[in-house]
Amino acid sequence: MLNWFKKGRDKSIKYQTNNEWILALKPPPEEQAVHQLRVHLIRGLKASLYKYVDRELDEFVEDIAQDAVLKILDKYDTFRGDSKFTTWAMKIAVREGYSELRKKRYKDISLEQYSNYDPDDREAIEIEHEQAGPDRITHESMMVQKIMKMMEEELTDKQQKVIEHLMIDQIPMTVVAEMMNSNRNAIYKLVHDARMKLKNRLQVEGIDPEEILNTM
Amino acid sequence: MKLNKDVLKKLISKIPHTHEGEIGCDECFDELHTFAEMELEGKSPEKAMPLIREHLDNCGECRQEYQALLDAMKVLS
Repeated sequence: MLNWFKKGRDKSIKYQTNNEWILALKPPPEEQAVHQLRVHLIRGLKASLYKYVDRELDEFVEDIAQDAVLKILDKYDTFRGDSKFTTWAMKIAVREGYSELRKKRYKDISLEQYSNYDPDDREAIEIEHEQAGPDRITHESMMVQKIMKMMEEELTDKQQKVIEHLMIDQIPMTVVAEMMNSNRNAIYKLVHDARMKLKNRLQVEGIDPEEILNTM
Repeated sequence: MKLNKDVLKKLISKIPHTHEGEIGCDECFDELHTFAEMELEGKSPEKAMPLIREHLDNCGECRQEYQALLDAMKVLS
């Protein structure tokens, strides 16, 4: 394991400039630079994660910092030098930490558990409307039905399913992506495309989204 | 499709701001470190990088990570 590192030039050296970091992390990385980076990430992660981790914060943060260091070493040469190196590294660690937290929360759940589609849900919307006056119920129900029909006609099954998981089941995008063997960017784009399709359809139908919102 | 009125409203409210030029989570992540430094330096990154700001407004997970990055940077500065 020790052979993996090159030794630091001086035990007391502090890496500060971007150039110093890049040189020190170049393979084989300097042991002291890796240590300093890990300590830096741990401090930052504790400050940003303590609100979300109930127990064993230290252990969780140390694991995340370790994984983040490996990612940083793997792609340190993609750093463009447009910020402090440590800011760029912290960004990677923060994403690692939040992704892990989201996955941990849903680790024993599969999307199938959320897929018990109940056709009565559509009726539930109408029942909810009975609280309002009769004219408003009719107008609102008609609008809801119309939008739902548009969505079913315009959106692919996958788009519909992803929107359900994100918006009804409230599953984070990172988790939906993992469960669907995809990635967060692809899931975001999928939903964006769905919004574009709806926007175009509403334009074709001459319906102003504001009008829908005022009706509901 | 399994939906309710609140979800429909939320979805419809995003439609007026939806456009072809929006960026995704990866493009946002690529610039997030410079955006964060600009913000902490009081340099109005939303003017220099409006698409990043727009994505952060649209994407709860990127927004959460951005806020976390700012929290970390404040402690480390």
